[in-house]
This record gives sequence, C-alpha cells and structure tokens, in this order.
Amino acid sequence: MSVSQAAARLAPPLRLDRRARALLASAGAVLLSLVVGGLLVVIAGGDPVAAYRALLDGALGTPYGIGQMLVLAIPLVIIGLGLALAFRGRVYNIGAEGQLFMGALAAGVVAIFLPVGFDPLLIGAATVAGVLAGAAWGGIVGVLRARWGVNEVITSLLLNFVAILIFTYCVRRPLRAPGSPDLQGRSIQPDAALPALPDLAVHIGVFLALLLVPLAAYVISRTPFGFRVRMLGFNAEAARTAGVRSGRMVVGLMVISGGLAGLAGGLQVLGVAERLDPGISQGYGFTAIVVALLGRLNALGVLLAGLFIALLQSGGQAMSVIEGVPYAIVLAIPAVFVVFLLIADRFARGS
Amino acid sequence: MNASRDGTRARGVSMTGVVKRFGPVTALGGVDFDLRPGEIHALLGENGAGKTTLMNILYGMFPPDDGTVAIGGREMRFASPQDAIAEGVGMVHQHFMLVPTLTVAENVVLGERGGPLLRKRHLAAVSKQLAEVAERYGLDVDPGARVWQLSVGEQQRVEVLRALYKGARILILDEPTATLTPRETERLFPKLRALAAEGAAVVFITHHLEDVISWADRITVLRHGERVGTLRPSESSASDLARMMVGRDVRLMQVVAGERSVSGTKEARPREPVLRVEGLRAKGDRGTPALSDVGFSVAAGEILAVAGVEGNGQPELEEVLYGLRAREAGRVSLDGRDVTYADPAERLRLGLGLVPSNRYRRGLIRELSVAENLVMDRLGAAPFGSELRVDRREVARQAKELIERFSIRVSGPDQLAGTLSGGNAQRLVLARTLSRELRCLVAAQPTRGLDVGAIEFVWEQLAAARDRGLAILLISTDLDEVMGMADRCCVIYRGRLVAQWPRDELDRERVGLAMGGAADRAAAAPVSSAVASRES
Repeated sequence: MSVSQAAARLAPPLRLDRRARALLASAGAVLLSLVVGGLLVVIAGGDPVAAYRALLDGALGTPYGIGQMLVLAIPLVIIGLGLALAFRGRVYNIGAEGQLFMGALAAGVVAIFLPVGFDPLLIGAATVAGVLAGAAWGGIVGVLRARWGVNEVITSLLLNFVAILIFTYCVRRPLRAPGSPDLQGRSIQPDAALPALPDLAVHIGVFLALLLVPLAAYVISRTPFGFRVRMLGFNAEAARTAGVRSGRMVVGLMVISGGLAGLAGGLQVLGVAERLDPGISQGYGFTAIVVALLGRLNALGVLLAGLFIALLQSGGQAMSVIEGVPYAIVLAIPAVFVVFLLIADRFARGS
Repeated sequence: MNASRDGTRARGVSMTGVVKRFGPVTALGGVDFDLRPGEIHALLGENGAGKTTLMNILYGMFPPDDGTVAIGGREMRFASPQDAIAEGVGMVHQHFMLVPTLTVAENVVLGERGGPLLRKRHLAAVSKQLAEVAERYGLDVDPGARVWQLSVGEQQRVEVLRALYKGARILILDEPTATLTPRETERLFPKLRALAAEGAAVVFITHHLEDVISWADRITVLRHGERVGTLRPSESSASDLARMMVGRDVRLMQVVAGERSVSGTKEARPREPVLRVEGLRAKGDRGTPALSDVGFSVAAGEILAVAGVEGNGQPELEEVLYGLRAREAGRVSLDGRDVTYADPAERLRLGLGLVPSNRYRRGLIRELSVAENLVMDRLGAAPFGSELRVDRREVARQAKELIERFSIRVSGPDQLAGTLSGGNAQRLVLARTLSRELRCLVAAQPTRGLDVGAIEFVWEQLAAARDRGLAILLISTDLDEVMGMADRCCVIYRGRLVAQWPRDELDRERVGLAMGGAADRAAAAPVSSAVASRES
C-alpha cells in the first residue's frame, strides 16, 4: 500500500473535521489581518485601539452609519453570490464591474424614458432591464469560452473597460443631463426611485439581497443545476463523461453571474444615485470577487463577507477622518485578509 | 558516484517483524522477509497487501514502526533512500523517475552532489562508465539518448542501469512488467537472471502469476499486511498462489492457467450491429496522428476486444467514441443513428456507456460522496425529483441499492469517492454505468491496477452485460483479459487496427506478436520462430 492510499483511507473522518478546520482557518485569518492592520496603523503613527474603535463607531454607531454600511453591502452581496456560483463551476468571471455598468445603463435608460405612471411596474421594468443587460454582457464571455475556448478571465476582464467606456460615453453625450456643467448623466424619473427605509436610509434593494442569499444556497445545494456546477468545478472531465453539457453550463454561469451584477448596477442607479453617474460603483465588481472568495463560495459566507467588507469600508472612512489614519490602510485590511485566508486554506487542507 | 562499494560483496537481506502503520491503518503487521544473494525473489499479493510498503522500507523511504532490517547480518537504520543506496540497495519504481527531456546520462547524474562547472567533463566520464555497466549486463542502453525518445521497456532498462551504476547489489523492481509488452517482458527477466547469477539479489513486486511462475526462485505472498508464506514455484501451482493471495478460490485463475474464460461458459450469440465505426482519424494531445482509418462494428451480445500495448491510440479511441475528442475524419453510429457529432450527453442518452481508462479522472469525482457519484448522470428527472429539486431521499435509497448490488465496500453512502480503493472505485463506475439503459458499452482498461478479486468482479459484470445483449467494446492492454473475454479480437498498433481474429482462432502468441507490431508474423508464424521485432 502506498502512503497516499493509506492517507486516503484516513480521509473519511476528516469530512466533518474539514468544516471545523475551514472555520478555524477563516477566524485565524480575520484575527491575523486585524493584527497586521493594527500594525499598519501604528506604523502610520496612530493608535490601533482607538482606530478600530472609530471604525466600529463609524459603521455601527448610528442608524445612519448602519444604513450606509448596508448600502455598501448590497451590491457586494448580490454580485458575490453570482460570482460564488460561477467560481464553484470554475468559471472565473472577473467582469462583474463591466456587467454592473451595463446593467446600470439599461436600468437607467428604462427609468429615465419609459412612460409608465405606475411605480412598481416602472421599477420592475428597469430592474429587469438591468438584469438582462448584465446577463447579456456576461453571456458574451460565456459563448466565447464555450464555442471557441477563449479564456474567460481575459475576455471578462477586458470587457470591463469596454462597458465602463460605453457607460461614460453615454453619460457624457446622449444621456448627459440637460444643462449639466459637470458632465452628469440624466436623472431618472422620480417614480422610478426605490423607496428607502426610514432612519436607516437604505433602499429596499436590501430585502432583495437578503432574499437572494437563501435562494442561492438552495440552488447550490439542492438543485440538479447546483449539483452540476459543483461537478464541473471539482472535475470537468468526469462531469462531461456523466453527461453534463459543460458548454451550456459555462454560458449559464456567465449569464447568471452577469445578471446578478447587472441587477446590482440597476439597484445602484434606482436606489442610490438616482441618475446615470460613473460614480455608482466604487469597484464593487472587483471587491465582490474578494467577497465571494472570503465567503468560501458559500451563500451565507458571501453575506457575512459582504457585511464585513462593507463594515471596513464605511467604518474606515470614519477611522481616517477621526483618527487621521490614511484610508489606504483601511483598504489594505481586506487585501491582507485574503492573503492570510489563502495561507490558512493551505494549512486547513493539511497538505 | 557513491563511495561505499562494499556492496560488491554478496549480501542478503533479512527483515523481521516489520510493522508499519499509517494512522489507524496497519499496512504491515509484523512481516518477515528474507532475500538471498543470487536469487530472484517475487513478492506477490493483491493491491494493498503491503508489497510496496515493505520494499519502500527496505529502500529507506520511511522507517518501520517496529521490527528490524538487516543487510549482510548488520542491522540498518535508513534515514533516507540515500542511506539505502549507500548500502547497495536500488529500486526501480513502477512510475519511472526520469526527466524526459534529459539524456540517459544526465538523468543518472541528476541529484548527485557536485558543482555545475564539473558537469560536462563529469558527464562524459559517467557516460563512459554507464556504457560499460550496460555492456556488462547486456542492458543495451545508449547513455546519450534522450529519455522521451525511449520506449517504456528502454526507460525501465535506464532505471535498472542507474541503480546498478550507483552500486546496487540488492535490486527492487516494483511491478516491472505492468506496462511492458509480452516481448519486452521476455527480454527483461533474462537480464535479471544474469544479475542474480553474479551474486546480486533481485526482488520484484507483482500480481502477475505468470511472471512469478516462470521467473522467480522463491515467492513470498503477502495478504492484508501479513506474510502468507514463502515457497518455490516448483512447489505450487498458479491456482495455489492465487488462493494464497486472496484467501479464497477465484475462478479467474482458469484464465491465467490458459483455460477458458469466465465468459466462456456461454457461447456469444451476436445479433444486429450496434456500434459502427468507419474510417476514424483523430489527433492526439500533441497534435500528432493518433488514430488512422479505424473501422469496426460491434454487435449486440458480443465483446469485441481491442488489444494493444499502451500508447498506440487507445485513449484517443476511447475519447472519440464517447464524444470527448474531436475526430478529423470518419463516422460513428449507434443503432444506425449517426452520432459522429453528438456530445457525450447525447451519446449517453442514446445508450452508450463508458468505463473510462482513467477512473479517478473521468470515472468519478473524488470530492463528492459515493451516493452522489452513483446518481450524478441521472439527476434532474424522475425519480430523483425535478430540475428544481433533488430528492435526496430517493438518491440515498438508490445509492444504497447500487452499493449492495455491486458490493462496493464503503462505510456509508456519504463516504467521499476519492477515498475508495481502486477496486471499489471501479465497482462504483460499473454500478453507475451498468445501471443505465445501455445499448453499447466502451470499457477501457477496466481492470488495470485492480486486485484479483476486483478483476474477477469486473469480468463477471462485463460477461453478464454481454449476455444481456449489450454490445461491448473492450479496450485492453492485458493479454489475459483479452484472451479470456473476447468474442472477437483486433489489435491496435500505432493508431491502426492491424489484425483481427474470431474467438476460435485466437492465439495468445499471435496476439502478443501483433501487439508488438509484428502483425504479419502473427498471421503465420508461431512465436518461437519469430525474431524479436522492434519495440513499440
């Protein structure tokens, strides 16, 4: 018997253990990254304890702060769920940012021009338009990979720039706000704006995000589609041999993750900016990649990771204002976190 | 070159009470093994019996948990293979440890200490010495040849040569005949015999009974980490040895003893052709031609065997037939329906099944449970729920049934498939594939690397499937398997089908010759008069 065979025989009891180990690894990574973040604060000449307190106060100290954190978390969670699904099937969609902008553009156009007097219908139509546009933009990448084997990382990444430039062009030319001096895009019809919760000042898209979490969890673990995605991710060869149509799956995953990014973009226009504005995304499509990975491609994990990063980002602004810590350091913490998480993963796997 | 050359003296090995555990698994439970200078000693046993573990201990790969290893009467404590090599132990692993892009001499020098500046001159000296050693033992290897240009048999000789060059007087070969042609096997053992005659001690690990009976001086049989016995070939028959290996009677041995097959109890009743292939041409992974003008048809209720030595287009044939690889020319039809352009999902739906040659890569998904692996080709439809929901209770029920029906040894349906042994992994693949409504089955190397019990099971399943009326294409490198199972047999050589025989004209030596590329001779001359042809 070889060592590996013997090791393989040991593996069954590890299955339960693995989850515990993964959890432990995540917790360890959080702790270590906070420590490193603290060190960075010290190097920048600040007091780490006060800085972290300011961070928590800023993010969670007031209802408005909490609301702002949630507003940040909404696109991260929605996009993160789609990416988690795609990554599980080894479809590496790096183009969520572009899909978000295409979704924002489509939703914005509908919200600006569609002459419907009935709010829910208008909002619904604009949202659907956002989803469809994001899905189509993602679908291009999927078809390129499924048909001609073009690497989706490259195409999706490059299509980001195309999408952002199209959006910027539209905002500056055809969809520029009339008489705007600073090249702002047009505002949407007031009827199309998403209602917001009182006090928290969060648009109702937050419920959509919360609804999508269990839905994604269900799709991943309980449907044949989710099962095929996992098959494909673990072993594409065996999946094809067992009759999984990998090409269709790739397109499907790109359409779904693109559609969710488009949804997030639509919500940004309808619920946050209420106009077409290049500032609707602070790189959410990229940050969501981190969210998906931190969340270990797990729906609940994505929710927690999305909240965590939103907390760092919204609280970090307070931290930099109150404690004079450079904002860049705040932004570094999740990055450090990812590095530690990857290291911890290696340990958790034990090989 | 290693300084210690006291290995030139003839020394024996004595291992006593060797214990090795890997976690809770006891790989060796107190094994005694002795090896005398001048003998060829076969270490026989099923997969997982502990043969390789025992030899790895002798080679210093890891220390025993208990027991002693003595060479020439002196107790040894090897910290690494370096120590073992210094004591004159050499090992040729089943998977060769050679860098394909380097020359033979470079491979030999690899891993030796010494500055890079010395290398060129050193290399020339090494080449010369290698040539001498090769000459002395008749190993017939060119030290300047690049390894990738060499056949499997030649690469094996390089490994042997390397061990000898490093002063090995105790030579261990792990499954040396597993990938050799019959002809190459016939060439290997006389060299080993010559080595032994010079006072070296040779051990070879195997589960091929034929090699053991024809070539070993003594045989030690291991089973489940225990030594069952040590005996001489003259004292035992193939069926005795088989019984010792598995601890019970196996019908399989009829085949090994050259008798009729497990499937041979019933005559094949071939009916209408099911799988039809015409003029198939395809390229391999590196863009080189892998299949040319391959054509055949398989009828319902018959097994067509495609025999051949590894590397003659078998994986490509398997892949093209199942739609996993694009073909350049030719047609494939199933039940009269053209499936040349159909994807695997479509072929599966039309009743084509595949038992893939690489069962861990294609046959199952290690990260999923046994139950999930058993049903992964049929989710999304009744009775397993719908596209919106997997009925997990039904999955568990069916999985349990299949586990029982195909006697897959698992702790439960939730055990991860990656932890299954080779035999159980193959049972899983068969369980999933054969429980479908099939018309045709492509079984590629279905028993490779399996132990005797599992082989017997696979053969019985294939024979039963044939008797149920499936058309079976059996792609195999194992001559025993081909001889035992085939209703018709053809040979694939360099991507072409070169010979074909019906069952009653099937002759072991002719098939072997054709596999080695001597199809013309195979047609007429008996093997004894045939001169060694080129190796594949």
